[in-house]
Amino acid sequence: MEMMVKKYQQKFRKVRDEMDRWEQLQSRFINQFRNASSIIQRLPMLGDSKNYGELAGVHGLKEVLLGKQMESLGSIFCSMRETLKEFHIIVMSLEKIVRDGNQLLKGGSMQPTTHQMQLRVGIRPSVEDCLDGLKSLHEMHHSEYLVKSSAFEALTLNSSASDLGALHQILVDQPNIPKEEVQFIFNIIFAEEIC
Amino acid sequence: MQSPPHLSSQEKEKEREKEKEKEKEAKLLNPNPNPNRSPSSSYSPSSSATRLWKPAAQRNLRNQWSKYLSQKDRWISASSNGRSHATSLVNAYLSQRYVPEMELGVLSEMPGIRHKACEKLALQQEQYQSKLLSCYRDMVDVVCHMKNVSTSMRCFLKGSADSPLVQFGNHPEDSNDSGDGGGIPVFSILSIPSFENLGQELLQMFVLELCLKRLLVVELLSISCKESPKGQTSRLSWSDELYLGEFDDLSSINLYSDKQCQPVAPRIIGWEFGCPTSGRTDHVPDREILQVYLTAWLVEVNIDWQRVDQIFALVGEEMHINLS
Repeated sequence: MEMMVKKYQQKFRKVRDEMDRWEQLQSRFINQFRNASSIIQRLPMLGDSKNYGELAGVHGLKEVLLGKQMESLGSIFCSMRETLKEFHIIVMSLEKIVRDGNQLLKGGSMQPTTHQMQLRVGIRPSVEDCLDGLKSLHEMHHSEYLVKSSAFEALTLNSSASDLGALHQILVDQPNIPKEEVQFIFNIIFAEEIC
Repeated sequence: MQSPPHLSSQEKEKEREKEKEKEKEAKLLNPNPNPNRSPSSSYSPSSSATRLWKPAAQRNLRNQWSKYLSQKDRWISASSNGRSHATSLVNAYLSQRYVPEMELGVLSEMPGIRHKACEKLALQQEQYQSKLLSCYRDMVDVVCHMKNVSTSMRCFLKGSADSPLVQFGNHPEDSNDSGDGGGIPVFSILSIPSFENLGQELLQMFVLELCLKRLLVVELLSISCKESPKGQTSRLSWSDELYLGEFDDLSSINLYSDKQCQPVAPRIIGWEFGCPTSGRTDHVPDREILQVYLTAWLVEVNIDWQRVDQIFALVGEEMHINLS
């Protein structure tokens, strides 16, 4: 069982790499969202001729300005979609890690007993701790991915300033990935390294 | 031309054939390259002069286009600095306007706090205004340099073609010398006029954008926190010179109209001139208007950056150097 736990710890290191990558994507996604939402909030203002002040005399400015802003918004939407795809890749890779983890157990010569599953040697985690940890980390990221996708779907030209603010808050908070819980899982798995 | 130093006669023959093919291609691209027919290039230099002209012209073009590129980069940084100064300027101005209604809580008991805050914000605003102006000066300077580059692409024979030492320069000494090598391709396909057209296309975008930016600068320099008596504002007008020598600079890039004694009105590529100075109002612009100004600065409506990159990529590929 000890060897087994070592192998699981290896898997957790992989998860950690994936989560670092997730963090990078997260800040990219937030940036993209902010850019998109500032354009969306500007659009009604840009659409109203009386807001042009001295620029009102420049023929075509309003049309070209609006056109260019729509163009940038379109390209931001495209890159957001790309970022979402990359989030999904991470979710799939976490899913694979969970699957491999289960395989590891079934592939062994004998089925461990419940006692063996829950056996903790010193401060080392039990096999069950490992399996549960991998599973929850995957579930957290999977749900968060769904939140992000629906937030992206909700982002439209007609979103109001308060909608945009709320969506932004949700994206920043990542409610499905509570930091303390994640830390707690890693603390159990790598208890010996912390000491 | 970077021909390898030791070529056998056979290889030389091949080279020459290649050259001929390229010239044919160029003729397809450029409908009027024939030096004998085109009046502008009736001057047909001796073959040895042409042979020597090419490397000189290539060197010159590479230099000029590298300058173009560095001016483009200067524009990008001046424009982005200008934008951040303009944003800070607008913020300082708006905060100052809101100072009288601001809830100050315990601070409200401090004597003269609103007055001091206003003075400080006004000072900041002046600083940002002078920074914005200096960014604008940089942009004018950039466009003037671009203009110079766009007119320095030709390569003229210096002195006599028969002299043992053939030299080239940027100015024609012989009125028959068009400096374009009779319209032959300088590298592989493009002739001097083609390079000039691409350069003009770039220049045009930046000239028009500069003019629009000037309008924004005039407006942003006009907003002032300082309350003048009886609401009189010391607004700048379009015909005011923003810094000493500005009109000379603008004349050199055809943005100054001697007839109207003021700079040419801004316009958008593909659109007619408007009448930007006719609708002048004396009231201070509100929040929305200022934000539209900032957006207009940011978006650079007259510059098609995709096309700009495309032109540099095209030219760079032709000259076998990296222009990005």
